[in-house]
Amino acid sequence: MRELVIILLVLVAAPVLGGLLSGIDRIITARMQGRVGPPLLQPFYDVFKLLGKERFLVNQRQVLWAIGYLALIITSLAMLCLGSDLLVIVFVMAFAAICFVLGGLSTKSPYSHIGSQRELLQMLSYEPVLILLAIGVFMQNQSFLVKDIFARPEPLLFSLPLVFVAVLLILTIKMRKSPFDLSTCHHAHQELVQGITTEYSGPYLALIELTHWYELVLVLGLVVLFWAQPIWAGILLALAAFFIELVIDNICARMTWSWMVKLTWSVGIILCLVNLGVYLI
Amino acid sequence: MEMAEGLVAIAIWLPVLAALLCYFGRSYGFRNAIAWITGIALALVSLALLAMGPFDYQPSGILGFSWDQVVTVADFALLGLILYIGLKNKHALITILTLIQLVVLVYFDFFTGEHAAINPVFVIDNLAIIMSLIINIIGSLICIYGVRYIAEHEEHHPVEKSRQPRFMFWLVIFLGAMNGIVFSNSLVWLYFFWEVTTLCSFELIGHNLDKEAVANACRALWMNMVGGVAFILAIVFLAASLPGQPLAIRTLLALPGGATGTILFAVALLVFAGFTKSAQMPFQSWLLGAMVAPTPVSALLHSSTMVKAGVYLVVRMAPAYQGTYLSDLVAVAGAFTFLAASVLAVTQSNAKRVLAYSTIANLGLIIACAGINTPIAISAAIALIIFHAVSKGLLFLSTGVIEHNIGSRDIEDMGGLVDRMPVTTIIVAIGVLSMFLPPFGMLVGKWASLEASTQLPLVALMFVLATAVTALFWIKWLGRLMEGEPGLARMKPEKMAPHYVVSLGGLALGAVVLGMFVVPVMNKLVAPAVEVAYKTSGLFTQGGSIVAQTATKTIGAFTAWPLFVVLAVAILAFWLLFKPEKANIRPIYLCGENTGEIDSTSFLSTADQAVELSLSNYYFSSSLDEIKLNKVGNVIAIIVIIMLLGVTVI
Repeated sequence: MRELVIILLVLVAAPVLGGLLSGIDRIITARMQGRVGPPLLQPFYDVFKLLGKERFLVNQRQVLWAIGYLALIITSLAMLCLGSDLLVIVFVMAFAAICFVLGGLSTKSPYSHIGSQRELLQMLSYEPVLILLAIGVFMQNQSFLVKDIFARPEPLLFSLPLVFVAVLLILTIKMRKSPFDLSTCHHAHQELVQGITTEYSGPYLALIELTHWYELVLVLGLVVLFWAQPIWAGILLALAAFFIELVIDNICARMTWSWMVKLTWSVGIILCLVNLGVYLI
Repeated sequence: MEMAEGLVAIAIWLPVLAALLCYFGRSYGFRNAIAWITGIALALVSLALLAMGPFDYQPSGILGFSWDQVVTVADFALLGLILYIGLKNKHALITILTLIQLVVLVYFDFFTGEHAAINPVFVIDNLAIIMSLIINIIGSLICIYGVRYIAEHEEHHPVEKSRQPRFMFWLVIFLGAMNGIVFSNSLVWLYFFWEVTTLCSFELIGHNLDKEAVANACRALWMNMVGGVAFILAIVFLAASLPGQPLAIRTLLALPGGATGTILFAVALLVFAGFTKSAQMPFQSWLLGAMVAPTPVSALLHSSTMVKAGVYLVVRMAPAYQGTYLSDLVAVAGAFTFLAASVLAVTQSNAKRVLAYSTIANLGLIIACAGINTPIAISAAIALIIFHAVSKGLLFLSTGVIEHNIGSRDIEDMGGLVDRMPVTTIIVAIGVLSMFLPPFGMLVGKWASLEASTQLPLVALMFVLATAVTALFWIKWLGRLMEGEPGLARMKPEKMAPHYVVSLGGLALGAVVLGMFVVPVMNKLVAPAVEVAYKTSGLFTQGGSIVAQTATKTIGAFTAWPLFVVLAVAILAFWLLFKPEKANIRPIYLCGENTGEIDSTSFLSTADQAVELSLSNYYFSSSLDEIKLNKVGNVIAIIVIIMLLGVTVI
């Protein structure tokens, strides 16, 4: 029963939260650029407008993968809230991202192909850090279960500070912010058009947008794990991380994918290893 | 003879009989019937063995000779045949390696005195039953596929005198030899069956008789003969250090305090033999070369036979080297192959080479699990053996169907196959997704292996990196298949021969159903096989979940069924809620420079010239060079193997 309530809460509350965060994102970004910015609820207006548009698509398989993306992101968020195995959550997230990629690859559009290939490379970049996060949690807790993180009194941040930095690094990739807004992005970048989402429009684009809200809550949820008790501290930590990402987004230009892969596979992984190594010695 | 014992005899002798019938039966219809009947019979035999549970079997003699004498004679005959092959092909390495084995075998048989009688020579335990299910069900499906495929193959590549009979001969007899390997308790018998599979793979790889096929077959032969030398040396060392005791797997697994000294060295040699057979680095090239053979051969070598014999031996011996440095180094060697082969797979555009590197990588993962050597790790290894056999068999067979249809095995030629061959594409998609994603079986193994790896940080790191790379090469391929023409998909199912429907359909169904019922698979099949030597399997079932436990606490949990529900709901939602109409279809975005109608894939370029767009995957050829990577990988792997053998001597 308790589980059912949590799942329902995830279904309903997460997109509201994600949409609001996305609205805050747009206001803060605007202020950093010396603009007033849209109203807080603008992302909701956008999505509702998209939902009312005509259904245009290139072929129907695009939609299958978009639904898969949404369903699996919701599933991983629900698993996180239910306290499941962190490693399994990471794998379900990978499946979700793969659905997104296959959605982009399911047309012959060159722009969505480039975006999809880059999204794959983004996966390649953040996946090791996410799995090392799970392993780091295990080394601290002797358990991969998220619910055991909430059972420990001391915040993980104190024992996994460098892993936290690495997670911040991949948070930029997962939120598709500069310098890693490689696969798709809200701003008009000519070389990419809309990247992986180029061929989605109207209600189908709304579906993707909705998924991104869930995903935002999910990745910030991973940050909360670093200060699970009391949970408000974790939420503050996640909001701080969110703010840092916006600053990074606004002070960086987009970099190349090879730079991203090199950075995460060197700095990201070494940060994790040094942190985990300290606890091995 | 009791029924159970009769089943063992059938599992080994029926393939021999069927192979002879295939060889002498000169019509396709006859071979076809034999393949179907043998396949069904073998599958039933393995299911009957499963129903009966573990037992021992000591066959009595034949015509006044003991079976030991028969095996000894057969051993010499086999090595003589391989020696002849080496001389005929003027291949010095094969000749020398065979001569070494002959000399050692003569020494062992005639100069080391009387050996203790081995009773029983066959032990059909839980692990052997799992292996026999894989060999006899998946292997039989591949033989059924093969009888049809090789007939089509000869239409594509006409030959003067049909080579189909000899092809089916070696394909079918392979199953018998594999059954022999997994049932044998006697190391000498195991060695014999081991060498039979080496010979079978040589004959099958060289089937096409062209220069490349012969060269690759010879390479497979000499590399596996290196393993054969290690194997026979191990037997001699064991005979010297275990005087008066039977040279049997049971003896090795029952040593008080595990293997030490010379015995541990002999075990390391057996593990090394397993490495060669499982194409671990630096022996990966023989398996890659094996692709020149017709597709059923690749499917058989990669999924249910040959390479699985190697990992079987490594996993089988695991309790004997538990807690030694050897064990840690086995884990490092396996994990290294897992990582290196995964990276190599990314550089490939040839679908069969991608599959081959992925096989090598997964075998590395299995071997690494054996080296980690905890109950959870061994459970993961056995689970991976099962699920990998299903998915990889499926992928090879569907690649064969694609190759016969489009005349290419290059991924870049498979763009948009979903429109032309929707059924095959969906089957490939099931195969690919079931290789590395939840909720399918392989991922259960991968999950368990990662959870088990945490005590060996270097191994864990290589697992993590390899896991991240794995998604890249699979999705690159699947993405090309999936890229559809603009417009409402026509989805006209293509026609397939009944052989293909049964084998592809059976394996695809197997991949999904085994994933859904992963809890009973782990509970009823895998756990008993691990518990024999490890007291516990480390993985328990709780409701619909698999729970990983160490001695003190629960460390993780995997629940597959809700994910299947989610996927089913997603597919249903797509089917029911989204019904696009023709009027909704729009052309792809080409900056408004599309030529012609909605389904056009060309654009207006300079001087309004129409240019057809072309798409391609990344292969990272500027930063990742296959040949260089192989060289570096081989050097590292050789160092690890020298260390692995070395630590047992020190």
